[in-house]
Amino acid sequence: MSAEPSSGAAAPATTTPPPPPTDETPTRRGIFDPALLDACISCGFCLPVCPTYTLTHDERSSPRGRITLMRALETGRLDDDDPTLQEQASFCLGCRACESVCPAGVQYGHLLEQWRDHQWRGRHVPPIALAARAGVRVTPAITAAGRLRRAARQTGAARPDATAHLMLGCAERALFPTISRSVLRLLPPGVVDVPSGQGCCGALHAHNGASHEAETLAEELGRRMPGTILTTAGGCGAHLASVLGRQRVQELSEFLLAYWSEHPDAEPDLGEIRVDGRRARIGLQESCHLRNGMGVSAPARELIARVADYVELPSAGSCCGSAGTYSVLRPQDSRRVLQTHLDEVEAADLDYLVTVNVVCHRQMIGGLRRSRSRTRAIHLAELLAQAAGRSTPDTRD
Amino acid sequence: MSTVERTHTLTDAVLAELAGIVGPANLLVSDGDVEPYARDATPLFRARPDAVVLPTDTAQVSAVLALATRAGFPVIPRGGGSNLAAMTVAERGGVVMVLTRMNQIREISSDELLAVVQPGVTTAELADAAAAKGLLYAPDPGSRTVSTVAGNVATCAGGLRGLKYGVTRNYVLGLEAVLPTGEVIRTGSRLWKDVAGYDLTRLLTGSEGTLAVITEVTVALLPMPATVGTGVAYFDSLADAGTAVARIIGLGVLPATLEFLDNRCINAVEDSNHLGLDRTAGALLLFGDDGPDTHVATSLDRMAATCDVVGARAVTRARDVVESDALMAARRCSLPALARLAPITMLEDVTVPRPLLARMVDTIDTIAAQHHVVCATFGHAGDGNLHPTIVFDPHDGDARHRAEAAFDKVFHAAMDLGGTITGEHGIGAAKRPWMAARLGEDQLALLRRVKSAFDPAGILNPGKLGS
Repeated sequence: MSAEPSSGAAAPATTTPPPPPTDETPTRRGIFDPALLDACISCGFCLPVCPTYTLTHDERSSPRGRITLMRALETGRLDDDDPTLQEQASFCLGCRACESVCPAGVQYGHLLEQWRDHQWRGRHVPPIALAARAGVRVTPAITAAGRLRRAARQTGAARPDATAHLMLGCAERALFPTISRSVLRLLPPGVVDVPSGQGCCGALHAHNGASHEAETLAEELGRRMPGTILTTAGGCGAHLASVLGRQRVQELSEFLLAYWSEHPDAEPDLGEIRVDGRRARIGLQESCHLRNGMGVSAPARELIARVADYVELPSAGSCCGSAGTYSVLRPQDSRRVLQTHLDEVEAADLDYLVTVNVVCHRQMIGGLRRSRSRTRAIHLAELLAQAAGRSTPDTRD
Repeated sequence: MSTVERTHTLTDAVLAELAGIVGPANLLVSDGDVEPYARDATPLFRARPDAVVLPTDTAQVSAVLALATRAGFPVIPRGGGSNLAAMTVAERGGVVMVLTRMNQIREISSDELLAVVQPGVTTAELADAAAAKGLLYAPDPGSRTVSTVAGNVATCAGGLRGLKYGVTRNYVLGLEAVLPTGEVIRTGSRLWKDVAGYDLTRLLTGSEGTLAVITEVTVALLPMPATVGTGVAYFDSLADAGTAVARIIGLGVLPATLEFLDNRCINAVEDSNHLGLDRTAGALLLFGDDGPDTHVATSLDRMAATCDVVGARAVTRARDVVESDALMAARRCSLPALARLAPITMLEDVTVPRPLLARMVDTIDTIAAQHHVVCATFGHAGDGNLHPTIVFDPHDGDARHRAEAAFDKVFHAAMDLGGTITGEHGIGAAKRPWMAARLGEDQLALLRRVKSAFDPAGILNPGKLGS
């Protein structure tokens, strides 16, 4: 290899080599928060937990590879119109599993929001994302849908003496109204109220390239519901927590565990969930944003185990492919991600699969139905209400 | 690193041939598509390849290499991209060959105590599959969840169990590899004893993708130890911890784990993993052993007692395997956790004879102070393998230059003590400037002759490892 242009072998032993060309100190376009983008050292610890990397084994669709792409966008090495940038910004599920294993503390979720804010502008906004953003912006329409579907009845302005205010969620109250009704059955009257005039929390906007509007919506909701907000969806909860502060938000499973332990008399008499004359076998599909965004993972398992035989699925903690609007934007990829979960459910021969987030709930219902599974998806609130003997679960919307 | 002329632009005809070999879906050529493959885990090294291929079988690897030799373009093999010496950076352009889609575990044999895997299986996947059959794959580099088995072989990866179990080279029984000219060879075998021919298995182990592309690996496994025990001792200084290490080994104890972290590492790891470590200690020594219950108990007792004698501030034991695993996991993420301190983390990998560990640690401190750099040190105390890590902000004037000057001093200090410039990360492009000082001109010349015997056209990872 005599072609070696300047092998270090020839360098005098004590000479410091000249610095290699680098892009660590280039001009920046200001698309990303520099501190967030600089935090990644490309160790790759995120690769094995990334659902899209697991599907492809291709660096482009790994968190580390996407951050490399973001850096190329930020420094102008790649143009806004670069097709790989467009594709990868959209292919990412936004599940933030990478954050949960990142020793450097990279805030990938925020980077993704900044990326999509920039990438999904003008003609590059996926039309469905635009429609989704617009659809949930109309508070009266959401309210009407919720009423029509008999979600938990709203109780007027937020009461200052309520321990928490139950947030209804735009999609949840229209699609799965029994969830909010079940929550009220699990707590003594008056502990939580259901303030009227709730809008959208903006989580959907944050994930679809409109993080400024997302922040405004969350702040508005925070003003309408001062104090603690109780949510039945990890996606809404994580977004609210990032805008309003973690202490303002409680997700149902953590709230119930804490409340019942502080007020043992308030805990309903939870019976056993039985199927075919035996104790039911029940698994869990976690919500990524609940797990990776809010750091809540154990409480749902503990609650299920109180009423049935809890079965841990290998992929319980990884994204089911619903990912906000992802299942609508990229249905094929969404189903590829989902398939692993469906296979595991079948192998485990479950009676119920518990969900803790509305879009995961919808995804699992659809997936289980298509695969003609005997397993039924049920939201944690519905399951516990059933165990409390105060409600008949209605898992089919 | 030198600024290297990029002379290889792939012609349309070559690209068409590549697409024909691996299929259009496994060939990436656009700027955006190849950008993520412009770097690995090494800071400050970046070069966009002309193309990326992701072959799915040995025949494709062979056809791509034969084409490369014929057409004269570089091929840079890549696994998980977790190496720290810029081994997979396409300095001269060419094609990065990614082996992560060849990721099947072919066989785990309890009878023969071995496993046969494709190159892209990760170290952790192999270890987990072996564990499911009650077997141990001993090498466990810090990046085990990311790094691939073939990448471990190509770099002779070390890890946290080196003292008792050795490193990757001690476990490779045989390889299937493709020569740069396209021939598929099988080195070694499934046998522990097999001395037919030169030991090409060992030659390829640590060859950093410059001699052949590894397409299948046969590794030796061990019976899984009955139990694992881990303890933590805190000291006022790294030098005290070094003294404890020397005493422990002097006792004839050969522990599975003997790792240390300095104060900066303790704090970075605690920020990341929240284990309740003592943030005020000057050094932490993580000690552990595996084997039958009584052996582990005795071994841990002796190590804990030794730490006490040397003046440890406190000695604690993990209560169970879960707590042991948490401590080991924390140690493994020392490097990325240090990234919390500044945008750039430059990690080094010097190794010195074990009794000189404390002296080397002192030397590193002195050099860091002289060059006004922030240096955190952790490493494999039992192996004399240190990872001094300098963190800096690239916008801070000549911080980078000071870091490089400090490391130059550190390398020479290590060699003066009879040590080496790299214990387990390799030379790649990053450590080239110090190769001559370490190996001497005669050996470098021999290395190049070996290289040309394998790779007459000089297409495989050219320029790396001094080739």
